[in-house]
Amino acid sequence: MSIITRSPFLFRINTGSCNGCDVELATTAMIPRYDVERLGCRYTGSPKHADILLVTGPITARSKPYLLEVLDELPRPFVVVAVGTCPTSCGIFRDSYAIEGPLDKYIQVDVNVPGCPPRPQAIIDGVAKALEIWKQKIRDMK
Amino acid sequence: MSANILNFFIFPGGLFAVFFGLILISIERIMVARFQGRVGPVFYQNVIDIVKLFNKETLIPKDAKDFVFKFAPLFGFSGMLVLVYFLPVPGVYEGAKGDYDLVILIYFMALPAISHILGGGASSSPYAAISVSRELKLMLVYEFVFIVIGFTLAIYVGHGNGEFSLKKIMDYQMQNGYFLFDWKLWPAFIAFLIFVLATLEVPPFEVAHHNHADIMEGYLIEYSGAPLALFEITDALKIVVLSVVFQIFFFPNVIGGDVVVNLLWFIVKTMFLVVFISLAHACLASFRADQEFKFLIKVPVMLSLTSLVLVILSIKGLI
Repeated sequence: MSIITRSPFLFRINTGSCNGCDVELATTAMIPRYDVERLGCRYTGSPKHADILLVTGPITARSKPYLLEVLDELPRPFVVVAVGTCPTSCGIFRDSYAIEGPLDKYIQVDVNVPGCPPRPQAIIDGVAKALEIWKQKIRDMK
Repeated sequence: MSANILNFFIFPGGLFAVFFGLILISIERIMVARFQGRVGPVFYQNVIDIVKLFNKETLIPKDAKDFVFKFAPLFGFSGMLVLVYFLPVPGVYEGAKGDYDLVILIYFMALPAISHILGGGASSSPYAAISVSRELKLMLVYEFVFIVIGFTLAIYVGHGNGEFSLKKIMDYQMQNGYFLFDWKLWPAFIAFLIFVLATLEVPPFEVAHHNHADIMEGYLIEYSGAPLALFEITDALKIVVLSVVFQIFFFPNVIGGDVVVNLLWFIVKTMFLVVFISLAHACLASFRADQEFKFLIKVPVMLSLTSLVLVILSIKGLI
């Protein structure tokens, strides 16, 4: 059963991020140096295919309904990874009238990858840790 | 009778084709990664993906047409499964030996696209609706190209009368030289390669599917779990079917009479097609939907019609 944890599908949602973390995420998957496809990962365009949800941004009031919708649509078991300081603690945007974060108000966050933006190595490490947690969740579901 | 069942479920249909196709898709992913300077996944990555998807929860949207949504993937899957059983593999497998199997091939080739259209249409997502309308438009063009190519070969082999048996098309090439080396059919060959790219929806024809910037996953957006796995298996079978069709149409070469050697040779020829597909995937950008439609209706249609005209002229003895 552990073999299926080598096929995580990733979905990323930007909840009002400055795009710094998104650029890191995109480069992590794409550029030659940091290749997450070697872990078997694949970016999907739909949360319904996803196993690992990567959230960037401090969850603005405008983006909150979409985030909740995405969280509803994820098939179980799934793992949530907060990428960057913003979803972890809202960072410098904390206590703003337009911010409804952090992420752990809405869902149990499994892995936090702090940094502004985090280094690609840190993101890959976060995804690898998420795979371990995902394996545990699959075992618990059985 | 039992040999037929074996052929349908184990080899060359069924299990063998599914695993072979899944490994081909994984190899395509590895090739794309290597072209881009990455390492890429393992060679059995898509098999793991399928196993995982069968273990995942299946979600059905509230507004979806339940029955069509669930059973649309089966439509394309069964079509491709039958086709793998039906087609002769040069030197390896005799096929179902029909006299009109080219017509059946043309019919069944459209089934995966129809299952995409049914599934996407039933899934009640606006993204799926856009993707379905694009797929429908493009399908009309590339299926037309495929029909013209098949018709051209049928006329050429039958010397003016349509010869719709794939076995006879292969035998004709064994005796008179392969169509790959026949200049009259070179335009049709290029059109066929474009058809392969268009029907597999790899770039530059990636407008209805996997186009994350534009329509997300297209018609697959609402699918999860086992139906999604069936769609992926259909893609895998389709790549096998396209390779077999390519070899029947243009290069049914065999080495001796040994089945194992011929199977290896078949796999080597298939690899060439996969390398071509991954090269196109790695180095071409995607068209917009309208550009793709214009391109398909101009270039491959014209190329295949050129071949048809050349073949008719050669039968009349004019060239």
